[in-house]
Amino acid sequence: MSTALSRRTLLSGAAGGAVLLGLTGCASAVDQETSGTPKKGGTFAGAIGTDLVPANFYTNSNDGVTTIIGLVYESLILYPNDSLKPQARLAESWTISDDGLTVTLKLRQGVKFHTGRAFTSEDVKFSLESYADPKWNGQLKSTAAAIAAVDTADPNTAVLTLKHPLGNILDLLEIVPIVDKETFAGIGDGSRYVGTGPFKFEKWTPNARLQFTKNAEYRVPDRPYLDAVDIAVIPDATAQANQIRSGQIDYAYGISNLDIERLEKAGDITKIQRTGAEIQVYVAANLTVDGLEDVRVRQAIAYALDRDRILSEVFRGAGYTASLPWPKTSPAYDEELNNFYKKDVAKAKSLLADYGKKVPTLKYSYQTPSPLFQATAQIVQANLKEIGIDVELDPLDPPTFVAQLIGGKFPGLWTAYHSWAQYTPSTLTVSAYPFNALKNSSHYESDTYIKDADAAWKQIKGDSPEAIESYRKLSKDLLDGAFLLEIAIIEGRWAVTDRVKGISYTKRSELLLTDAQLTG
Amino acid sequence: MTAYLLRRLPSLALVLAAASVLIFAVIRLVPGDPATALAGANATPEAVEAIRAELGLDRPWVTQYFAWLGGLLTFDPGRSYLIGGTIGSLITESLGNTLLLASSSLFLAVLTALVLGPLWAGTRKPWLEHLLTGINTLAVAVPTFVMGVALILLLGVLVPVLPSGGVPRDGLLANPSITVQYLLLPAVCLALPIGAVLTRYVAESLRTEMAQPYVVTALAAGVSRRRVLLRHALRNVLPTSLTVLGLQTGALLGGAVLVEFTFSWPGLGLLIERAITGRDYPVVQVLLILSVVVFAVLQLLTDVAHALLDPRVRLGGAR
Repeated sequence: MSTALSRRTLLSGAAGGAVLLGLTGCASAVDQETSGTPKKGGTFAGAIGTDLVPANFYTNSNDGVTTIIGLVYESLILYPNDSLKPQARLAESWTISDDGLTVTLKLRQGVKFHTGRAFTSEDVKFSLESYADPKWNGQLKSTAAAIAAVDTADPNTAVLTLKHPLGNILDLLEIVPIVDKETFAGIGDGSRYVGTGPFKFEKWTPNARLQFTKNAEYRVPDRPYLDAVDIAVIPDATAQANQIRSGQIDYAYGISNLDIERLEKAGDITKIQRTGAEIQVYVAANLTVDGLEDVRVRQAIAYALDRDRILSEVFRGAGYTASLPWPKTSPAYDEELNNFYKKDVAKAKSLLADYGKKVPTLKYSYQTPSPLFQATAQIVQANLKEIGIDVELDPLDPPTFVAQLIGGKFPGLWTAYHSWAQYTPSTLTVSAYPFNALKNSSHYESDTYIKDADAAWKQIKGDSPEAIESYRKLSKDLLDGAFLLEIAIIEGRWAVTDRVKGISYTKRSELLLTDAQLTG
Repeated sequence: MTAYLLRRLPSLALVLAAASVLIFAVIRLVPGDPATALAGANATPEAVEAIRAELGLDRPWVTQYFAWLGGLLTFDPGRSYLIGGTIGSLITESLGNTLLLASSSLFLAVLTALVLGPLWAGTRKPWLEHLLTGINTLAVAVPTFVMGVALILLLGVLVPVLPSGGVPRDGLLANPSITVQYLLLPAVCLALPIGAVLTRYVAESLRTEMAQPYVVTALAAGVSRRRVLLRHALRNVLPTSLTVLGLQTGALLGGAVLVEFTFSWPGLGLLIERAITGRDYPVVQVLLILSVVVFAVLQLLTDVAHALLDPRVRLGGAR
């Protein structure tokens, strides 16, 4: 018996050895995934948390879309991350007439789509019209719809005639990707993405990966450096963290801030904090709910919020607290106004005393499964308890949450993110639904707010002194109305290894790899 | 038998029809629809309505139901709202990945049971017995997702010899040696609890079998213990072990969903999760009706087998 076991042991050992030898003898999958060594060329391997949703092409609402737009497409102009001073991209120059009704764009010549077709003013027209189509739900579709005509008589010049002056017209030109009309149908089902950008779309495997190859005829000489880009879809943040630690990927869009801190301390990664592409976390109120219709109650809530705690504990300090949506790079940013609501329990209680009634228990909705919203909601719940308002937490899955948000049907308070304040301020008030002056989720109605939002939108130049004064009025409207209470301005983070350099991003967090290089 | 089958078919059709109505209605009663899921948090009600019209969700439910049913009957179940591709291709691809994972795990589990079961039953070394007992208990007791994370940390991060998740860049078929490396950790993770249960069952059954009179006779006749164990006892244990394996296979498919998520393996589990979260009605409906069809057909096959074995059933007599 012992002989038999020994033989078996030997056989097991041999089998184990064979497996190990087999594994080492074969090409290593880990080595294959690890980004290459040359400084020019190689495949960039990364990961995103949410897969492409083709119908969301113009909504900037998932990582798959922002990755494709960043790599494959280009817009007419590009804002730097720290300001709204437009830089040339597919448009070489642009002028806005004195009456604000005509925008003339001189287009870059010699630019080709990935199919080889030359880029012309017809493509500008087609792209802007596509963006205005309501079915695509573009954030600035109201601005796009305010373009009365696009003159394309000269293939190298596009002349936009506006229905009225648009203070945020340059935002639109920065946001809209220039698409190829001949292959546009492929965008709808995720089969074809043809732009003029540094990378060609190769393939999308749903729930698995997005693949791109270098555009050898890119308009910028010697760019891009990389030969290919491979972006895996990894919904689990921990799995992303593990893959970047193991060297399987060099870039991760979805790791928690806590994990990024840990990995950074361990020397495994560095972080890219996306200043200029901020999002905002807020608490908002449904004004049709008993108690919340009174501005004193809403202001009391604003004074009760411990913004510093939420920012440091939940978001690990990735940003700064806020009373208004505008980030520091915005022309509407005003430090004094931004600090208008600071935690002041006595003041909050005084406002509630003026209100004179007991505020009924409020439901407080937030999206699952995000632990960030849950943690935020718990802190807010404790804050409101301090001033005598009881809150019942109401976690909702994303479609239910969005349905209630769009329908204005929240049973009390809610917390969510919004964006678009990093652009010309009027973009926020005419596009982001929670802020929309005419109709919003809070059922907040104010003639002054409507008038000021419209005035800001119709400024001839978005950065003129008159425009900045109009933004100040908007800010005061938001503070006075207190229907949407900002908590903090959050700068999202990407994790990257030191094997890759030159990664950048747009103000919509689109991945830019034009100058990226592998160094390891 | 044909008459029996003909008698059963109407009830089968009725079950499927009722299931299709139920599935169609229930998913629409859940708050939030595909249009709101697609539109996102910054959309206006008008934008949601436009998307709803684009998807045909503004039509009456009855019209939508019959359109879906017509698609099913003509083997054209439509396209995914979220992903855009045809549902047939999406399910085929995901199902292929899940089946590859599940069959690999099953293979590993059976191999483990066939190697370690007899070893455990036959050993007389206490340390080996303790070791096998310990490993077995651990494999059964540790939840799959914990085991998955532990395997990833150990072999994907600390000693990075295997990928910690995902699928090969060039697809599963391009380079089998690479594919095996991607498959190994999730397959082992999924195989461990099933392999452990099966191993313990085989070992215990073998011990019982080795106490049978024919074994004592064979040993007394000078046949080696190893030969009796492997040639005779194991053969007698295998049929009942197959039953246990069958029961474990159901658990394996359930566990696959968790393992797919942990290892970012793009199978049916990830597809279902994404479809439900995004209210992707066409995909959810097809996946649910498929599961009903599979269950109903299996039920029918069982009844047919029963009828074949018992003439009273097929003749409609008293049972």
